[in-house]
Amino acid sequence: MNAKSIIASLTSKFPEEVYDADIESDIRTVAKVKPDNVVDVCRYLKEDLSFGHLCCESAVDYPGRNEIEVVYIIGSYEHPVILTMKAILPRENPVIESVVPVYWNANWYERETYELFGVKYLNHPDLKPLVLPIEMLGEWPLRKDYQGFPNKTAKNLV
Amino acid sequence: MDEIEQTNVEQTTVQNVGYDDVPGMVLTDTNTISDIIKKTKIQDVLNWGRKNSLWFMVNAMGCCGVELLSTGMAHYDTDRFGIIPRNSPRHADVMIISGYVTKKYLPALKRIWDQMPAPKWVICYGDCAISGGPFYESYSTFQNVDEIFPVDVFIPGCPPRCEALIQGFVELQKKIEAKKDRGTDY
Amino acid sequence: MEETVGPSEMIVHLGPQHPMMPGPFRLNAKLRGETVVDSEVEIGWIHKGIEKILENKTYLQGITIVDRICYLEALTNEEAYVGCVEKLAGIEVPERAQYIRVIMEEFSRIQSHLLGMGEYASFVGFVSMFMYTIRDREDVLTLMDSVTGARVTHSFLRFGGVKDDLPEGFKDNVKYVFGNLRKAIDQYEELYSTDSIYKSRTVGVGVLTADVAKDIGVSGPPLRATGVAFDIRKDEPYLVYADLDFKVCTQKAGDVYARIQVRLDEMRESMYIIEQCLDQIPSGPLFPEGTPYGKRSPVMRIPAGEVFHRVEAPRGEMGFYMVSDGSDKPYRVKVRGPVYPTLQTLPPLLKGVSVADIVAIAGSMDTCTSEVDR
Repeated sequence: MNAKSIIASLTSKFPEEVYDADIESDIRTVAKVKPDNVVDVCRYLKEDLSFGHLCCESAVDYPGRNEIEVVYIIGSYEHPVILTMKAILPRENPVIESVVPVYWNANWYERETYELFGVKYLNHPDLKPLVLPIEMLGEWPLRKDYQGFPNKTAKNLV
Repeated sequence: MDEIEQTNVEQTTVQNVGYDDVPGMVLTDTNTISDIIKKTKIQDVLNWGRKNSLWFMVNAMGCCGVELLSTGMAHYDTDRFGIIPRNSPRHADVMIISGYVTKKYLPALKRIWDQMPAPKWVICYGDCAISGGPFYESYSTFQNVDEIFPVDVFIPGCPPRCEALIQGFVELQKKIEAKKDRGTDY
Repeated sequence: MEETVGPSEMIVHLGPQHPMMPGPFRLNAKLRGETVVDSEVEIGWIHKGIEKILENKTYLQGITIVDRICYLEALTNEEAYVGCVEKLAGIEVPERAQYIRVIMEEFSRIQSHLLGMGEYASFVGFVSMFMYTIRDREDVLTLMDSVTGARVTHSFLRFGGVKDDLPEGFKDNVKYVFGNLRKAIDQYEELYSTDSIYKSRTVGVGVLTADVAKDIGVSGPPLRATGVAFDIRKDEPYLVYADLDFKVCTQKAGDVYARIQVRLDEMRESMYIIEQCLDQIPSGPLFPEGTPYGKRSPVMRIPAGEVFHRVEAPRGEMGFYMVSDGSDKPYRVKVRGPVYPTLQTLPPLLKGVSVADIVAIAGSMDTCTSEVDR
């Protein structure tokens, strides 16, 4: 299974939902997906195209475009192709369906994205802060307009 | 059986009377005794014992933690100075802050510090614990650890080598011997 | 995990300061008698916000920061980060520099496995093994020290090359150390396979099946111990791994014993790779000629774009997702660490085991919490 056949299969199965699909090299492909269909596309990728390995899931903040991109990097144990899939959300109220029913390890990635970017995941089994103390929830520190960085409290600097 | 019960009763009555009422008896407690001892030569003997058994708690918090593990093992053999790694804070005399203290970890670290029996000392091992190191501007780390814990020795480096930690312990031993350490109130 | 406890149940909090070194994490285990009913892992005790810091440092400054993501695999972290920038900027690495990188990264794998194995032995009550492995690890660290100038955090890789060449007489030193290390590893294997107490604590304990491991996204030795030959060095070769002869070490059982056995075999393979590299290494420059890249590279403006580059770290798949907007600082860096999914296997694995096995199972994953928290 190579990059070309994967992209062809994906775009023919989801002609409306998947757009801007492209092949960067033999082992790297990119595609954008509509936020409502993320779970369906992921299920198809896992069951029919053997993309069983969620490498990571994260978000990128674009204040200029007023968008948050949720990025899924999905690999496979069978073939070396990696698909970078993006879903574009509005910055004010980023809400997307959780992919935990398909990829079990998305659990922590989604909790982390929630506390660092403020992306809310629907139907997540246990959406609560992961790495930050509960008091810092709502500050969204990895957004570009976060005010608390750099932290100026250090006194012993040379 | 009856006799034993009787003696118990007698003891409780003595306690109720109080030591002040018994002629010739001086009221004292362990704090008073240690205060008296601090002014005498016995304290030197105690400090000699303390400085030669500095058991440290293994709490690998960052990059320095891995050097901490190496130091405790056979190659550097800190046992010859009486320095032994312990896993439990209840067994330890020295807490080594071996990395960045985060806002989430600080309450736990204070609790670990409270669990250690006195006399106890703190060593700041590595730049992160001293000044924040490479993470001085992070949103999640807590700076100025030395305002919270009575730090005796600072060991700079990122991470410092194992020999530096051994030297830090030797400096701490010198401080204890000279009664200049912050772990005990002189 | 539900916080409510039933009759004759209780919740035990292990950590954040705990003997499952290195790095603090907390394991909340719900017990009924001595059996674990349910458990939950809490992380974030040493979350230092590396991704935010990397966004505010120049590309060259970032090398120092990625070293500290995981202190036991500093060189492979650098390789993943530097590889991202090289892919974005289209920098070709000269062959000699590639060989030096492979040599150093395999050394990094050996020292990491030695520490992980030794620590693991001490968790199951085999402390003298920890003493042996640290003894041999010091020899390996001295070799690394002679090349990079540091024991833990090296900052050795540069864009397009490496900081320094191999020192004089390095090959002979390696030969001497490897002679001892080969004997030592055989000795460890003999100790592990003949000690009946050790075997009764590890064989058949914490069995991870291949399907569950794949579902959770595990990589590295815990996955290879289940029989899946997944290794980035083979599947997606970077540097000169395609020219080198090595095999992917796997085991069938998937239990704690198999995970340690995989690490032992991998150390032998790493030594074999290093010896091949030292024989084959060509002479030549350390940086691409005719370019401004060097030991002190200039302020670099990387072309806009995005890239995901992954390498095989000692603990599994280490990947960086980098977005560049054309300035001298990365726009966004996402670190994908190998232990992040591995630590998520603990709640399903610990269900139904006894309390004494918690440390044995959690320790065998060789967790590096610093990299999970970042």
